[in-house]
Amino acid sequence: MMRLSDEIIGHLREVATWPELPPERYVVRRPIGRGGMGAVFAAHDEVLDREVAVKISNTAESGGDLDRRLRQEARVLAQLEHPGIVPVHDAGVLADGRWFYVMKLVHGETLIEHLPRLAGEAAVLSVFERIAEAVAFAHAAGIIHRDLKPSNVMVGTFGEVLVLDWGVAKVLGATRRPAPDRSGSATPRDRDDNATASGTRIGTPGFMAPEQHRGDASVAGPAADVYSLGALLFWMLIGSSPPAALDEAAHALGTAPGRPARRLRAIVVKCLAPHPDARYAHAGELVEDLARYRAGNPVAAHRESPIERAAAWFGRYRTFILLVAAYLVMRALFAFLQR
Amino acid sequence: MGYPCRVIPFPATHRSVLERVRSQDADVRRTAFGDLAEGYWRPSYHYLRLHWRLSPEAAEDAVQAFFATAFEKHYLERFDPEKARFRTFIRVCLDRFVQNQLKADRAEKRGGRTTLLSLDFPDAERELDAMASADLADLDRFFHDETIRSLFARTVAALRTALEREGRAIVFRVFELHDLQPARDASYATVATALGLSTSQVTNHLHAARRRFRETTLAQLRAITATDEESRREARELFGLELPS
Repeated sequence: MMRLSDEIIGHLREVATWPELPPERYVVRRPIGRGGMGAVFAAHDEVLDREVAVKISNTAESGGDLDRRLRQEARVLAQLEHPGIVPVHDAGVLADGRWFYVMKLVHGETLIEHLPRLAGEAAVLSVFERIAEAVAFAHAAGIIHRDLKPSNVMVGTFGEVLVLDWGVAKVLGATRRPAPDRSGSATPRDRDDNATASGTRIGTPGFMAPEQHRGDASVAGPAADVYSLGALLFWMLIGSSPPAALDEAAHALGTAPGRPARRLRAIVVKCLAPHPDARYAHAGELVEDLARYRAGNPVAAHRESPIERAAAWFGRYRTFILLVAAYLVMRALFAFLQR
Repeated sequence: MGYPCRVIPFPATHRSVLERVRSQDADVRRTAFGDLAEGYWRPSYHYLRLHWRLSPEAAEDAVQAFFATAFEKHYLERFDPEKARFRTFIRVCLDRFVQNQLKADRAEKRGGRTTLLSLDFPDAERELDAMASADLADLDRFFHDETIRSLFARTVAALRTALEREGRAIVFRVFELHDLQPARDASYATVATALGLSTSQVTNHLHAARRRFRETTLAQLRAITATDEESRREARELFGLELPS
């Protein structure tokens, strides 16, 4: 019997799962990565002469839960045309019956790799706002991501920020889906939307909302993504995922080296509130509050004291106030000398 | 007492190996042992030669006697999936068996060598030359790697036989040139030129061969792992694939 070298065994392990794509359309080049749900390969689109990424499910047979999730992910992505979300070019069924979809090949690095390059709060917020904007767009379309974390964010070579891995995303809203039939059984769309049944824990520890931790996937709404965004911002500011207890998270933010401003800390803490009702209702509200913070205006997350309001007002009109004060001092001095 | 040892074993049932070796049906049990012996004899032989430093004859005897004794004395039925992987359990059983055998010098008492299985020991012995630099520091890793090597080699042999029987030898030839003995500049185009095929024929043949390879390996894997859960875990580790529940 032929003795196979370690090199050949490694090669066979890799190529045995390569997708069988129509060779006149796509030629697979190399694997890019493999996650819990699917594997992504770089391929060449022979017709359009461009590099693309192809995702297939990690399942040995077609029609399983992973295959359904991959199909759902392709459909979710197809609904979300936004600069912060990878566009889908094509989708279909492989010769072995498994689903695949083709998307833009992004050259860049994950947020984990990119974070050390972000110097200062302004740079961090610039990237974070684009993540939050992409999620806000999805929320406006009735879609929640449910697994936001640093490895699911890609920063491209030209600074573009992309939110990836919508495999466990959930489509909300009865208006978007066909009504159930009279028997009350779920429509195919319902089944797709709930590919992961209630009771299954969806998300990543450290970045998932408490309601996701409890395995209550059915009640996890946009506020669950808001929690994950807060955890992401906490991680970008502090370098670690937030502790489970809110007061510990607040304390960590308040005592960190180069600690963020009080209003920014309040924004993060509001995102991390244990109860969904205490958070921003959706990512759009978070984006708006961040914009207010960046403009130096009061934020919804923080009720300011009269002194803080006065200080903020002074800060905003400092030049004008100083000029008026200087004018008044000069007038007073002049009047005194005239006496 | 012997049991059939097939050249290309495929699980004939969806029942796990553990269920089958515990079966009251003698034929089912014998077939399950045949699958296990086919999957583990070669790594066991190499393990005995390199780790235990047995002579070729002593290692052959020990492998034959180990599987025969395991069958007769119901060793493997005692496996507890909660405690270890089946592969590790077999290796530990083999260690104990050899220790006992060396102590009691049973081989001599048996009055000579026993041949129960039709196994190609000379071929396994020839492989040892290529294993001169084998790392024995992690015995579990060594046994695992040799089990996978044996699994893939048997799958490749089965694939060749099946494709030749179907009159599709060219499919195996493409697989061989591209994946098994790749030249440094191997590409779809160079393989196409070498075999007088078009590039799309090469990719189609290669896809077909790889799919058969994957499916056959997973079927084989099921035949040498104790439980469905262990099969799923091994498939995940080997190919990153999730087997259906």
